[in-house]
Amino acid sequence: METLQYTLRKLITGLPLLFGVTLISFALMVYFGPDLTYELVGKNPTQEQIERVQSELGYDQNFLVRYLDYVREIVTLDFGQSFSTGEPVADLLARTVPVSLALTLPGFILGNLLGILLAQIAAWNRSGWLDKLIMGGAVVGMSISFLVVIIAAQVIFSSSYGLNWFPVRGWSVYSLADYLYHVAVPTLALVFVSLGYNTRFYRAVFVEEMSRDHIRTARAYGTPPIPLMLRDVLKNSLIPIITRIMFSIPMIIVSGSLLIESYFGIPGVGKATFDAITTGDQPVLKAVVSLTAVLFVLVLIINDILYKWVDPRVSLK
Amino acid sequence: MNRPLLEVDNLVIEFETDRGTIRAVDGISFCVGASETLGLVGESGCGKSVTALALLGLIPSPPGRVAAGSIRLDGRELTGLSEARMRKVRGKDIAMIFQEPMSALNPVFTIASQMTRVIRRHQGLSRRQARAAAVEMLALTGIAAPLRLIDDYPHQLSGGMRQRVMIAMAMSCEPKLLIADEPTTALDVTTQAQVLEQILALQSSFNTAVILITHDLGVVAETCSRALVMYCGRLAEEGTVESLFAHPRHPYTAGLLESIPALQASRNRHLPTIAGAVPDLAELPPGCLFADRCPSARSLCREEHPRLITSGRDGRVACHFPVQSREAYRAALVQWES
Repeated sequence: METLQYTLRKLITGLPLLFGVTLISFALMVYFGPDLTYELVGKNPTQEQIERVQSELGYDQNFLVRYLDYVREIVTLDFGQSFSTGEPVADLLARTVPVSLALTLPGFILGNLLGILLAQIAAWNRSGWLDKLIMGGAVVGMSISFLVVIIAAQVIFSSSYGLNWFPVRGWSVYSLADYLYHVAVPTLALVFVSLGYNTRFYRAVFVEEMSRDHIRTARAYGTPPIPLMLRDVLKNSLIPIITRIMFSIPMIIVSGSLLIESYFGIPGVGKATFDAITTGDQPVLKAVVSLTAVLFVLVLIINDILYKWVDPRVSLK
Repeated sequence: MNRPLLEVDNLVIEFETDRGTIRAVDGISFCVGASETLGLVGESGCGKSVTALALLGLIPSPPGRVAAGSIRLDGRELTGLSEARMRKVRGKDIAMIFQEPMSALNPVFTIASQMTRVIRRHQGLSRRQARAAAVEMLALTGIAAPLRLIDDYPHQLSGGMRQRVMIAMAMSCEPKLLIADEPTTALDVTTQAQVLEQILALQSSFNTAVILITHDLGVVAETCSRALVMYCGRLAEEGTVESLFAHPRHPYTAGLLESIPALQASRNRHLPTIAGAVPDLAELPPGCLFADRCPSARSLCREEHPRLITSGRDGRVACHFPVQSREAYRAALVQWES
């Protein structure tokens, strides 16, 4: 009951946030975004043709009317059709978002799980050789550009110069085997770039937690290392861990996979967004921007509910 | 005399720091007899807590280490014991109560979960049996309705209740030795007495030996039979509580006793303190570490470190020129200050 009340209250207080985000991004789109008029009218247009195209695109109406139109689209979840392809925006998202999720989730989950595991090992062996080895590896991983990682992974695993085990482009997924075949190299690249950051962050959290009095108590009563790290230390560290994971979720859904999608030729939402930005495809952009804002509000709420779930001291009042 | 339960011999604990190796505990030796209560007195940073952690093999390493000495419990050597064997000692043979009841319990697990884990680990009981044992132990620590709070989280309890839970957890495996590190310092005065009484009551019913670490001489006077006074990681004086309070031999002990405010004394009386500050452990002077704060220090004190000598029937003191009486100390103090 407390949780339900909290959720409703947060949803209502999330409305001004949505309003602000959509207003600012819409103003940027209208005043600084590309103008599609001259791409659509063809050569040597008459003044009449220009005006007709502008009115079709809605450019002739004043800002307030256009913004209210956008708000209506958000409320009804109907963003119209893409200017570039004519495909309904809802269809476009329904086609691309699942692909992006399927593409990035394995790497995201593995990157975090491995990060937590390595961080626990490093924190337990603090300032020992294993800790130095793991942290050294993390710095190396953080120092290599994502682009270099992608290209290296493609050369090693997907080209005739290397092992040539996996495809370098495309996403023709009809079975689990197809999925694994296409997702393997992108996952490897995603894990490689995120692991260093994750491990460093989680190690810092664990080391701090291990200095707490109750960990000393647990050790003074003979708690063995594995239960100590996996139960006492991990459960007390869950708040920063959950925060980090939850706030990455809107990113991985909307944009985190852009580089991977471009380099592996995968039709995900990151690629679709990037194309919409470069061509001024406002219906798509409007949908993506509002989707991101809504996701953030939801993530904030779920985040706080998870806090309460892991830490009994948290109150949602 | 029976063999003592705990024998600590020439214990040296060192910490590596940016400024070189520091000796937090420098060659202390003492014994604790079965079911005896020993007070360990000294100001903050004198090595009391580090000594206690060393008994459990919990010196954070690195940077710390037990550099020398031996710790024997029931004749069994504990230094150099493997981590796995030491874990069987912790909580079972030696249990510890910590100073801060606010933070010493894990905030995200219930009292039941934390207590039953310890009980099951050391006694191999089932979940249900362990829970029953925990309830029984909580009742023994004077908690009126243990079933009502056993499923609570630590933050739902008051400081005194939390410390009782801590005591229940410590006594749940009937340890031979209980180390209580300033168990009442963080509590308010009315709860302090109750918690101390509770520890003593359980001690006598379980025949446990207790090392009571404190800087409160009043607590020592009420509870202990013998006490050690530590200064800068070294033993300053050891003796029965009666002789320590009536005839302190080390000027530091005498100074501590003088600085207890007396109820009957006039309000305007100047409360004596021990002048100066504890020397920096990284740059220790060659002679007696207390020499700079001592009213009866002579040139020998600054040159040569005093050895422990027997004093009285079964006391020891590390001083070249032990205090003759409290009056003599007061006189020396007045002279030194002027």
